Amino acid sequence: MYRPGRMLRPVHSSATFLDGNGKVAVSQTTLNAGPTPGRSAKRSIYISEGTSRWRRFVSFSIEGFLFLVTSLSLIAVFFIILFIAIDAIPFFQLEGFTEFFTSIRWYPSGSPPEFGALAIIFGSGMVTFLAAMIAVPLALLSAVSLSDILPFSVRQFAKPVIEIIAAIPSVAYGFFALVVFAPILQTSGGHLLGILVWLFGAPLALIVSFVVGDMLADRIFGDNVTQVQRTAILLLLMGIFSVGLYFLYAPISAIKISSGTNALNVSIILGIMALPTIVSVSEDALQAVGRELREGSYALGATRAETITKVVIPAARSGIIAAIILGIMRAIGETMVVWMASGNASQIPSPWYNVLEPVRTLTATIAGDMGEADHVTGSSRYHVLFAMALFLLLISFFSNLISEWAVMRSKKKWGV
Amino acid sequence: MSQTDAKNVRVSKMQLSKDSIHQKKILNPETEKGHVISEDFSVFYGNTEAIVKANLSMPAKKVTAIIGPSGCGKSTVLRAINRMNDLIPGCYAKGKLIFDDEDIYSQYTDVVLLRKRIGMVFQKPNPFPKSIFDNIAFGPRLCGIRRKSDLQEVFEKSCRQAALWDEVKDRLEDNALGLSGGQQQRLCLARALAVDPEILLMDEPTSALDPRATSKIEDLIRELRGTYTIIIVTHNMQQAARVSDYTAFFYEGVLIEFAPTSELFTNPREKKTEEYITGRFG
Amino acid sequence: MKAHTRKILDKSFTGMGFMSVILLTLSLVIVLGPIFVRGIQAFLFFDTVEYRRMQLDLFDRGDPEEVKAELDEVWAERRFIYDTIAAFEEQVENEEIENSWEYPEKIDSLNDSLKALFGPRPDEPEPVLPRDRYGETRWDRAQQTFKLVMYKEQWDYSDPSAMGSKVLVPRIDSFRGTTVEQIFPYMEENLEKLMLPEFTFYWQFLTDKSHDIHFFGGIGAEVLGTFYLVIGTMLFAIPIGVIAAIYLAEFAKEGKIVSLLRTAISTLAGVPSIVFGLFGLAFFINTMEVSQSKSVLAGSLTLTLLVLPTIIRAAEEAILAVPKAYKEASLSLGASKLYTILKVILPAAMPGILTGIVISMGRAAGETAPIIFTAAVSVGQPLGLFETLNQPTMALPWNIYNLVTEHEAVDQIRHVQFGMVFTLVLLVVVLNFAAIVLRARISKKLRG
Repeated sequence: MYRPGRMLRPVHSSATFLDGNGKVAVSQTTLNAGPTPGRSAKRSIYISEGTSRWRRFVSFSIEGFLFLVTSLSLIAVFFIILFIAIDAIPFFQLEGFTEFFTSIRWYPSGSPPEFGALAIIFGSGMVTFLAAMIAVPLALLSAVSLSDILPFSVRQFAKPVIEIIAAIPSVAYGFFALVVFAPILQTSGGHLLGILVWLFGAPLALIVSFVVGDMLADRIFGDNVTQVQRTAILLLLMGIFSVGLYFLYAPISAIKISSGTNALNVSIILGIMALPTIVSVSEDALQAVGRELREGSYALGATRAETITKVVIPAARSGIIAAIILGIMRAIGETMVVWMASGNASQIPSPWYNVLEPVRTLTATIAGDMGEADHVTGSSRYHVLFAMALFLLLISFFSNLISEWAVMRSKKKWGV
Repeated sequence: MSQTDAKNVRVSKMQLSKDSIHQKKILNPETEKGHVISEDFSVFYGNTEAIVKANLSMPAKKVTAIIGPSGCGKSTVLRAINRMNDLIPGCYAKGKLIFDDEDIYSQYTDVVLLRKRIGMVFQKPNPFPKSIFDNIAFGPRLCGIRRKSDLQEVFEKSCRQAALWDEVKDRLEDNALGLSGGQQQRLCLARALAVDPEILLMDEPTSALDPRATSKIEDLIRELRGTYTIIIVTHNMQQAARVSDYTAFFYEGVLIEFAPTSELFTNPREKKTEEYITGRFG
Repeated sequence: MKAHTRKILDKSFTGMGFMSVILLTLSLVIVLGPIFVRGIQAFLFFDTVEYRRMQLDLFDRGDPEEVKAELDEVWAERRFIYDTIAAFEEQVENEEIENSWEYPEKIDSLNDSLKALFGPRPDEPEPVLPRDRYGETRWDRAQQTFKLVMYKEQWDYSDPSAMGSKVLVPRIDSFRGTTVEQIFPYMEENLEKLMLPEFTFYWQFLTDKSHDIHFFGGIGAEVLGTFYLVIGTMLFAIPIGVIAAIYLAEFAKEGKIVSLLRTAISTLAGVPSIVFGLFGLAFFINTMEVSQSKSVLAGSLTLTLLVLPTIIRAAEEAILAVPKAYKEASLSLGASKLYTILKVILPAAMPGILTGIVISMGRAAGETAPIIFTAAVSVGQPLGLFETLNQPTMALPWNIYNLVTEHEAVDQIRHVQFGMVFTLVLLVVVLNFAAIVLRARISKKLRG
């Protein structure tokens, strides 16, 4: 039985080897390199009923434990809604809904206190809307360029940039808004705005004059238009635009900004902060639109711009909507920037679209007033902040559901 | 597929499954013992029957090849033997699949015990992203072998069996992913051998390899026969003819024919088999 | 449209794409530029003799002999200024000069400005507050303060229609024709001798505790507090997050409950951070009473909820990215499911999981709103390890806010604020770069 030529393992390890029940049974088994007829210990693949039951119990409890840990997220969401609601409802019981949603008088510590949050809700809405106006076009263009236009090397460089923009803590943005940006806005805000108009207006004007010039040239001179004629019209249009921009600059640069901490300041910063979310989510959506669709469009003779605007973007629409919603959510929920740099004046600017006036937002109110309200736990002053939080929470909850639904729809559509 | 075609297939399926009941007889019970025996064994993916009541007996210490066109269920049969099909949601089996007098699909079967006795080599070489040594020591460690010297012994033995020893003996700690494709596949073979299995399942083990690496693996299969029961799935009929003692031909989930390889390739009993091996379809 | 026009449209579209990415990069540079440039100055700057005196007094740093020699040197130079003023004061008191009644006020103002620059004279009693004990410790600050010695700030209300504007009036004008007149050119010429600026690398800014609410010293307590919060958060978040990811990737059977779980996770990711803060206050502190009031523990628990979705998503993605072949190989060798997960899948997914962990560490370090009500205080001492269970802490993000908006001398400690922001941003950026590098290595591995 013992054949030195094939014996390659010591006895005890072989015993461990052959024993299937997890016990180290030392046996006098012959050692085999393989299952030769000489194998004396029969290895069974069966386990006893008890062991089997025990195994099932163990794996059930492991899975149960993992499930419990996973469901902590669900419990957390449930508790968050529950606990915010528990502390929010007393406010509505004490003060009712009308004042909160219709009055603009916010004097929580006055006597009698007044809890009109309309101006604050308006402030939140205003900076969010403005931030979206800034972030959405820029982010969508960036997403399109990242997924379709830029060469790989530039993409490699742009991705980390976006990640870093997303990673910078909000307090650092707030610090920048308050300490660096606000003074500049206050001392030379008009010129800054003028420069911004140029920065965005000039390239736009350039493009428009190229396109319109080209079309005009064809319209005026017919089919046999010469290069000189084209250039002449182009130069003419560019001249008109630059004169227009020049005259636009004067009134804008004359604007005096009385306080650097205003809605415009925070909106710009919030816009930057919302960029990465919109870019990365919508880029994913654009990437999910398969190559086949793009190639189909190219094969029909469409240019890249046409393919993107007419085929890719419509196909990725729901993903892009989800991206925009998530970006807006980031702006609504942001606290530090608005708390530090919005001016925190609970007022509706006059006129209401005046973005150069200080405003106040829901998040900043919660953060700012809680320090004082914490001492008066149980009062309306304390509960009103939870009411605001509940309001925010509900907005975020429903936006999230909508965006999830949108993503799901696009996923179903493209099967990714 | 037109209606009549569908009907034909159904009819032939019925006939064949009746015939295949007799397949067991090709083994001489005196000299050859079935190591894995299936009795009316079926595998379902949800509602589709991927294997239809197969009856065959794969002899111990011989090489059995499973051939057939792609999608015919050959891999399903193979993966049923070590119950890798369990990983696929909605996949279940009916009938009996006997391994060494015990039913693989019995409720008392422990898949861990089962898989320790049935090694598997996959289509693509899949070494772990670990060192060469750790790859092969993975199985023995599972069995509770911890001592370095013991592990080294197992390592050397398995590597020699897989004809890998000379190539790796100086680079035990290198990452296994640094090996060539052929070496990786032999490493996977050595890894399977290190747990001292009784059966080796090979799922198209050479389909990702170049001709030279393929012939090396085939040589190994020939060497290992007699020591292990080897069941190999291949889409390459020449390979089946070269390495196997018995060949099973599956078509659309039905076992069409099971016979000694020489017999099946030279003198097939079924028309479908003949059509397949002469290249009429597949 | 003509093909020509379409081509131009296409080109301009490409141009706009490039523009948007440039703008993106530009906005990052604009935000980070000032923070980096001015933040570094909290570490690398020209100090003055007052700084060396302060470091010796408060932190026991430097050679006492040397500092004393330097002090003797500068006071020998400064003596002339004070002596001149003292002599003039005597003249004024004795009414030896014209209009002597108008001088005491001017002299007081001059003395105050000198005190701000040089600190109290050695013969004066030591002031109570450290901020009054020393002159300007930084050369850049000293130059600004020196401007207020040379010029007096006045408000000009000559234009009744506009707000008053600040004007600087040379002080020398108010002492024309007196002996004091000569000290101004003297100071201007000898300012370096009076302050002895020297280049220094104050790396201890990271570890020193602050003195007199950040007038002097470093941000050690804040750094330590942030460190505690991050570690505490990770202690909870990593196990929960990784386990949840394992469950979702390997065990969960897609169905109603699992999709509910996924919705919960994405909802959690969308909850505004300030709401987490309120919840932490209402639940962990007021209801569960994990601590009497704010504590590092309560803050960590709150932050855990915030970073959990990030970790779960990253870890799940990483686990799903592990080739199925590894799992099959392990199972076919007779490994149990749990063993396979622990020994094969998790090690292979580790870089991806680490990426998620590193990114969420950055988030935990930088988030302010959740810790306002649960963990952060403005003033305090560095905590011991066990005090974290029931004591609130200082933390970088909160104290940045606090120093910028609520400090009594916001303008005087700009360098500390910038240094703090710089430290926090650098921490987060470094963590994210680590994540980017990790990810690059993963994709290389998957490709190669």
